[in-house]
Amino acid sequence: MKVSLFIPCFVDQLLPQVGIDLATVLRRIGCDVNFPEAQTCCGQPAFNTGYWGEAKPLAERFVSVFRSADFVVCPSGSCTAMVRNFYPELLADSPLREEAMDIGSRVFEFSEFLVTFAKAGEVAARFPHRVAVHDSCHALRELHLKQQPREVLRHVQGLTLVDLPYSEDCCGFGGTFSGKFPMISAAMGDAKAASAERSAAEYVTSTDPSCLLHIEGIFRRHNSQVRIISLPGILAQTASAGEHAADARPSRSAP
Amino acid sequence: MSSPAQEFLRSATEKSADLAHRQIIRKGIDSYQAAFEGGRSRFLDWQDARRRLYEIKWDAINHLDRYLEEFERRVIERGGHVFWAENSEEACKYIADLALARGVKKIVKSKSMVTEEIHLAHALEKLSIPSIETDLGEYIVWLRNEPPYHIVTPAMHLTRAQIAALFQEKLGGIDSDDPQELVAAARRALRRDFFSAEMGISGANFLIADSGMIALTTNEGNGRLCTSLPRIHVAVAGIEKILPRLEDLAAFWPMLATSGTGQPISCYSTLVGGPRRPGEPDGPEEFHVVLLDNGRSELLGDAEKRDILHCIRCGACLNACPVFRTIGGHTYGTTYPGPIGSVLTPQLRGLNEFQHLSYASSLCGACTDVCPVKIDLHHHLLHNRRDAINTATRPWLERRAFQIFRWMMMDSRRFAFFGWMARLKMRALYALGLAGSALDPSRAWTRNHSAPAIPAHSFRALWRRAHGAN
Amino acid sequence: MAQTESSSRERILARVRNALLTPAARHAGPEQKRIFAPVADPLDRFQKECAANITECVLAPDLPASAAAVAEILAALPPGEIFVQDSPELRALAPAWRQSRSVRWSSEGGPREESEATITLCEALVALTGSVLVSSACGGRGASVVAPVHIVVAGLKHLVPDLDSAFRLMRERGTATQNSYVCLITGSSRTADIEKILVLGAHGPRRLIVVLSRSFE
Repeated sequence: MKVSLFIPCFVDQLLPQVGIDLATVLRRIGCDVNFPEAQTCCGQPAFNTGYWGEAKPLAERFVSVFRSADFVVCPSGSCTAMVRNFYPELLADSPLREEAMDIGSRVFEFSEFLVTFAKAGEVAARFPHRVAVHDSCHALRELHLKQQPREVLRHVQGLTLVDLPYSEDCCGFGGTFSGKFPMISAAMGDAKAASAERSAAEYVTSTDPSCLLHIEGIFRRHNSQVRIISLPGILAQTASAGEHAADARPSRSAP
Repeated sequence: MSSPAQEFLRSATEKSADLAHRQIIRKGIDSYQAAFEGGRSRFLDWQDARRRLYEIKWDAINHLDRYLEEFERRVIERGGHVFWAENSEEACKYIADLALARGVKKIVKSKSMVTEEIHLAHALEKLSIPSIETDLGEYIVWLRNEPPYHIVTPAMHLTRAQIAALFQEKLGGIDSDDPQELVAAARRALRRDFFSAEMGISGANFLIADSGMIALTTNEGNGRLCTSLPRIHVAVAGIEKILPRLEDLAAFWPMLATSGTGQPISCYSTLVGGPRRPGEPDGPEEFHVVLLDNGRSELLGDAEKRDILHCIRCGACLNACPVFRTIGGHTYGTTYPGPIGSVLTPQLRGLNEFQHLSYASSLCGACTDVCPVKIDLHHHLLHNRRDAINTATRPWLERRAFQIFRWMMMDSRRFAFFGWMARLKMRALYALGLAGSALDPSRAWTRNHSAPAIPAHSFRALWRRAHGAN
Repeated sequence: MAQTESSSRERILARVRNALLTPAARHAGPEQKRIFAPVADPLDRFQKECAANITECVLAPDLPASAAAVAEILAALPPGEIFVQDSPELRALAPAWRQSRSVRWSSEGGPREESEATITLCEALVALTGSVLVSSACGGRGASVVAPVHIVVAGLKHLVPDLDSAFRLMRERGTATQNSYVCLITGSSRTADIEKILVLGAHGPRRLIVVLSRSFE
């Protein structure tokens, strides 16, 4: 199965390991993974701030970059939602209108993809820790993902899924919201940190690395014992630790 | 004089740091949440019930002229008066003139958000006619001389101790902060007012077109006393409160109660149609309905935004909103706080001045999820933002920044290059310990977060190294 | 005042009509017409709901027994005037409890501020929510809200399963057209405005009592 990676702009620049881990897991389940280098950004930051004029050409560009991809997998619920739920409205007047309506059915959030296409246990991950899931708002309410991240974690060897109180409460990131209203954003993050402290979790994860970036910054500011890890980060962990380390090191061999 | 946006930022900063306030609100919301879950489980299919309400409201709003005229006709048939007010001033003038003409010395008021919207209290104050809030929550904030905190539970930000102290100061004779005692004190204080006021003013939850009646829901009974005892009853309502038929209430009454407070139905679901009839033992001699436009007909004309007028003012979106929970109802500085307020206020009072409300949201969508009439609230916020960019004043720097953002993102090598430069700069800055300082471009972030680890290589650089270019 | 009234009216209606020239999108409607499950056993449901919303429900075999129950309730209340809906049924029952009480009938006007209790009939009882439907024909507006205790004398014949049937009944009888006031009462007056703690007896009755007779002859 040929899978194209959709690596969000901030993951590309700030959280590259998430992308590496994503590729590792997809390869492990037998996917032929490629990364269309021409991709940049889906346009969500501009779109959410109201700059639809700036977002539109980026959306059209995205549609053409991924035009020939059968399956596109993304480690972010909010970026996936942008493409699936908002491209049709944003590109309603565009010559690429038809493609914009169609592309949503070819783009998947990572856990969504695994639950739909991977066989149970195929990922063969091992992560013997207590993990809680923070439900990112876009994944939950735009893509209707709730069970999917939990389902993939249930098949991880040694992992105990624990409850996060108020898991569906927004963490407060909200993209440019965190820049425009940092005090409110931080207070919402504080509330999320308090929930995590009260839970039995050693790790908190989510379908959205942007939420995790925000939550981690707040947790570390609070000197919290709870750690943050991405979903690909968990699933990339296997019984043989050596395998994971090898994938993280860039290899010098030709493709 | 600071702008609404500046005032909002100031108040939001203050409230976001107020842990005690957050805890009180959290407790209140949790209690509501538990009741709401219970209330929702009584329905055969909650989602289906929401669709039903949506249908009825769609019909009502999209045939508003016809239903308004029918409503008016029937009210007049019942011996009532209908006054059409284009704006707050006209509405207040009508009520004030009426009070003066009828020699009204005291007014008792049942809770009504629309009377807050038109600043009726202020207009009546100028005539020196006391207008007494009788809903307990409203009474409490009225004694404190502050606006309501929440459209359904106006005093949810106060503890019993604070209320006891308030009552002791204003009423005297308070022994404890037992809620039972406090309610009894309010009942005693207000009872005389109900029996002696010449005019009762209420809002209306719904205007029923086919019957010429207004529907009023309360739990305390104050709304019933205001509309039964004084000799004049004035009801004020936005024109969008129309429902086509009496039977529609079989769906709206339970849904409003469940969404508003988690109850199966409110204690008193009342229908008022006109003054007392000949042969009736009691009731007002006069009945007036003031229909308020105040920008609603203009909103109606925007087909994309029309369903905002479906709102039944239940308050569920306020309870669901994480921003509301953090900053509280007063910070918004508007009649209607919370998500509906953030959607509506820029439309009714101007995008330029109030666009910040539509930006003060993480677009989490919890509001849209809970709205009983299926208003797509968070998408309306997004549309307000789009409209702000297209028609209102935005900071020049921001417009420029997004132009640059677009330019950068239209070329992957450009993106890779600028990304690399930015990372280089931030790594150096953080390494020098300048995170959070005036030199830190990310200080809005680092002020509240530990500075993130900036990677040396981007994903695309690592991929290229591992797999070569493709 | 009349001039302003009519021109504002015309302007508002004109704007509304003009606004509606643009059609709005319409989403999918409901899948079925029912929003509540049918009520299997109305009497049982009514009693359960009353217990939940704190309405006292007293069952009696017949009207004379109802009258005795009312007398018992009144005996436990402070002495003072009671207000009674002036209807043939309640006039007939009055001797059972009026000896020690001063009674004000609704034909004399509305209830006085100091009323200790009010007694009325009802239009209907609604099982789904444990509610009492009254109108201004049931002793007027104040009759069901002024006093601290409101006693409803009703019969099984008044019981309807749900809100839809209550509204159907109202249509058939013309309750809304013939009266200036209708109220669906569910439980006693209450508020949760102080720390979300439920307190009974805000401005309306602290106690709502339904004396339900199997027969109403």
